[in-house]
Amino acid sequence: MGVGAKEEDRAEKKSVPEITLRPFTLSDVDDFMTWATDDRVMRFSRRPTCTTKDECLTHMKDLIMPHPWCRAICIDDGGRPVGSVSVMPAPGADVHRASIGFGIAYDYWGHGIATAAVKKAASAVFEEWPFLERLDAIAEVNNTASQRVLEKAGFQREAVLKSYLVLRGESKDMLKVEEMNLLDSENNSRWMPGK
Amino acid sequence: MAEEREITLRRFDLSDLDDYMVWASDHRVSAFCRWDTYTDKEDLRRYMRETVLPHPWFRAICLGGRPIGAVSVNLGAGCDRCKGELGYVLAAAHWGRGYGTAAAKMAVRSVFQEVEGLERVEALVDVDNKGSQRVLEKAGFVREGVLRKSMVLKGRTRDMVVFSFISADALVD
Repeated sequence: MGVGAKEEDRAEKKSVPEITLRPFTLSDVDDFMTWATDDRVMRFSRRPTCTTKDECLTHMKDLIMPHPWCRAICIDDGGRPVGSVSVMPAPGADVHRASIGFGIAYDYWGHGIATAAVKKAASAVFEEWPFLERLDAIAEVNNTASQRVLEKAGFQREAVLKSYLVLRGESKDMLKVEEMNLLDSENNSRWMPGK
Repeated sequence: MAEEREITLRRFDLSDLDDYMVWASDHRVSAFCRWDTYTDKEDLRRYMRETVLPHPWFRAICLGGRPIGAVSVNLGAGCDRCKGELGYVLAAAHWGRGYGTAAAKMAVRSVFQEVEGLERVEALVDVDNKGSQRVLEKAGFVREGVLRKSMVLKGRTRDMVVFSFISADALVD
């Protein structure tokens, strides 16, 4: 998902707005449309950009509502959603692992919202899923804005995986990043960042 | 390479059950695999019937026409259709002779020819499985990094080395 680098320097000096995460409801569709129909946000997504309100409703009914962990990112104390963050558990036996993804409406880029949302989501799932040891994410190698979000949220670069996913009809090289649970209860030890 | 002339790949048949049992029942072989050692031939027969035979890409590694191991590529769909994951096993009696490397090279060559849109064959290997890492390096795979705690193997989370072979890369001779 894309987060812009525009106004990045100014954003560092602005304070990050207070964000809350909450489940989506179908009545969020108008706000959802703001980013789901925007190529600038959706161009890095596996999902095609929606073009109509009906497509957005279908997307919400089929993917958002039944999702294991998907949250609307709201700013300004219970305000309207400006984006989404979701965590998908790994398939099969790998219950210790999950992947995070996010998207923010273009007009709200550059304020640290995605970073705050990713940090909050990561904290939440590590607490809600005690068996979760590893959270990872992938971003296209040229999607430096999303990589910055993940880096600021505490994720570490792991590997560049070549020709890893087909997005918009072409195979893309993807950077994989990861964040481990800070408290490894099995070993009773703390994982030290920067190892 | 000499080993490639000795090794052939072909589809499995249920009549290969006894040969398959040789490595499927061996703890040394299953140690780094997600499956547990087989003790009952009927369980293995069921696995062959339900998983091996209908699999989109699963081959017997044969020496003199008889299976001494298996190699498979799990193919992706949708956004994952450009990649496949390689897996292989070899009976312990045939380790150390270059047969794994030969089979991996042949499998990669075949699967890129046979599967439309495939650009990447990847393999995940336990960080402690040095033998398998050497097989992949000799077969021309590139080591991309280590994915920490990425796989559960025999009840423990393991660090896995990720290797890839991109169709555009030249085959190592």
